[in-house]
Amino acid sequence: MYLQMAWRNIWRNPRRTIVIMTAVIIGVWAMIFLGALMRGISDQMVRNGIMTLTGHVQVHHAGFRKDPVIENSIDKPEVVEAALSKILPRDARWTTRVRVDAIASNARHSGGVTLVGIDPEQEAGISFIRQAITEGTYLKAGDKYGIIVGEALADKFDTKLGRKLVLMSQDTNGDIASRAFRITGIFKAEMETTEKQFVFVTITAARKMLKLGNQISEVSILLADYKNADRVADDLRGVLPSVSYDVQTWQELLPFVTAVLKMYDWFIYLWFLVIFIAMGFGIVNTILMAVFERIREFGLLKALGMKPWWIVKEILTESFFLLILGMVAGNALGFLSVFALADTGIDLSALSEGMEFAGMSRVIYPVIAIKDIVAANLVVLILGLLVSAYPAIKAARFTPVKAMAHT
Amino acid sequence: MGKKSIIIFLLSIAVFTILCGTLHAVEVETLVRDAVKYYRGNASFSVVDMTIHRPGWERTLTIKAWTRGEKDSLFTIIAPPKDNGNGTLKKGKEMWIFNPRVNRVIKLPPSMMSQSWMGSDFSNNDLAKSDSIINDYTHKITGTEIHAGKKVFVITSMPKPDAPVVWGMQKLRVREDLIFLSQEFYDEDLLLVKTMTGTKIQMIGGKLFPRVWKMQKEDKEDEYTLLEYRELLFKENLPGELFTLSSLKNPGR
Repeated sequence: MYLQMAWRNIWRNPRRTIVIMTAVIIGVWAMIFLGALMRGISDQMVRNGIMTLTGHVQVHHAGFRKDPVIENSIDKPEVVEAALSKILPRDARWTTRVRVDAIASNARHSGGVTLVGIDPEQEAGISFIRQAITEGTYLKAGDKYGIIVGEALADKFDTKLGRKLVLMSQDTNGDIASRAFRITGIFKAEMETTEKQFVFVTITAARKMLKLGNQISEVSILLADYKNADRVADDLRGVLPSVSYDVQTWQELLPFVTAVLKMYDWFIYLWFLVIFIAMGFGIVNTILMAVFERIREFGLLKALGMKPWWIVKEILTESFFLLILGMVAGNALGFLSVFALADTGIDLSALSEGMEFAGMSRVIYPVIAIKDIVAANLVVLILGLLVSAYPAIKAARFTPVKAMAHT
Repeated sequence: MGKKSIIIFLLSIAVFTILCGTLHAVEVETLVRDAVKYYRGNASFSVVDMTIHRPGWERTLTIKAWTRGEKDSLFTIIAPPKDNGNGTLKKGKEMWIFNPRVNRVIKLPPSMMSQSWMGSDFSNNDLAKSDSIINDYTHKITGTEIHAGKKVFVITSMPKPDAPVVWGMQKLRVREDLIFLSQEFYDEDLLLVKTMTGTKIQMIGGKLFPRVWKMQKEDKEDEYTLLEYRELLFKENLPGELFTLSSLKNPGR
């Protein structure tokens, strides 16, 4: 009976119903859409971080993270490799790298870069570089003088494919090592800083330049499921003594990203609350108005013997219908707008210079997270009913006598 | 019979030209090597005024310099007083600088090698790799000119394919009496980047030598560095302990 009466009641004044529903729809849509946008940003940040030479788990020499110099290389990569083949699940991939700070120079420019010596085949499945080549070709195994540089670096150095780039760094004897490379490929990355920072050569060329034997600077591991990173890292720590090895997960390697992720969780819930507060006042106000308009009606119901509690229930049911209708439409609208942007994304390249510091991408693709959807809907429903309790109780307090006196 | 002799004749011509070619190449190599040797001497001591000119300002440093062979050198600034004692020691490919104010010797890391030396148009690399022109390039005589009644060889030097040098080409002018007249640095598009020229050839230190050297960036008219020799002495040898860290701290002892 409540349901039927409530349903009829809300359509007695369609305009008012539409107004309040619109408020709920916009509120829910804003929660879902902006939530998805924020999830998109943070998702991209994590993916960028992992793809930009981080991977899910990394192994270094114990001192490398504090002081990334050539002396802090892993001396016995075969020990690490044996441990990896024992512990890693079969679908995990890994690669070894040599990584040092270097100075790149040509006839007119010079500047600091990070020289990364990679194993071209293994690297291809792990970091972004294989897919990022826009001009020229990717490195081939054993290439002695080929180098891949970022588009932004090539611009900065006024250079192009086929040109020479001289790299200087410190070799294992502490002497200055320099080697001339030829640009064989140019890559474009999500972030300009990546393009400016990293240059890629084959691991053999890097070792020859730095007079390294078979030492490596790091092992980067990409798991099938990033959620296993902690477990795998723990297993590795069990085998590789922490005196000489340093095993870290991406959360530890990218502390900034991890912190931002946590912050975003709270941001999103705070955002939901703020939207709800704005919406809640609208709901209370409209329902209160409806209640006052219907004083005589409630008086009559009371006179006919309806209990105050029933009236509360009746009004709560009405607001429940309003909220549910608004939520359904708001969710639908939210999902629609997220899907509409799923392919193109939102291009922020105009603002990207300011945003890049945080590892954000040039284009944001909204991502729907189930827990956000559930949270948004629960917030609207529960708090919505809670604030409607006030007009409902007010209505239940009218006595028939007072209602008669009211014209 | 006739055919055979023709073949032999052609072969001998071929061998002759090849021999000539290599001879020629060897000659240029020695010419450059000798010119560098003439320029640096076995060992030398000099006092040089270095003027750094920029659009807004100009300053002059006086430097005492010792060199030995192609690889070792020691520079100390003696004027102005503010910079007195600042020194640079170069041994082989390595360089150290000494700052008397903080009383510290710093070994130049690779990151500083491409920075300018004492704010001049010379980079640390120009000093550290002073023998690069001999080892990293192949030379070819591409022309001759006349300078003060003497023949000048124009030598085009192309870097060896894998040599770690930034230049795309260098052009040297060497007079037949082994005096360097100019050295031009080109980028990979073969566009001129900077030029070093020697002028005012006079007798100093017992031989004819350009007294003034000028390093000039190509596209910047009023940015250059001028080196003017006040004193120059060529010596047979200099003691090895001169090119050590302790003499970098206490030069001229």
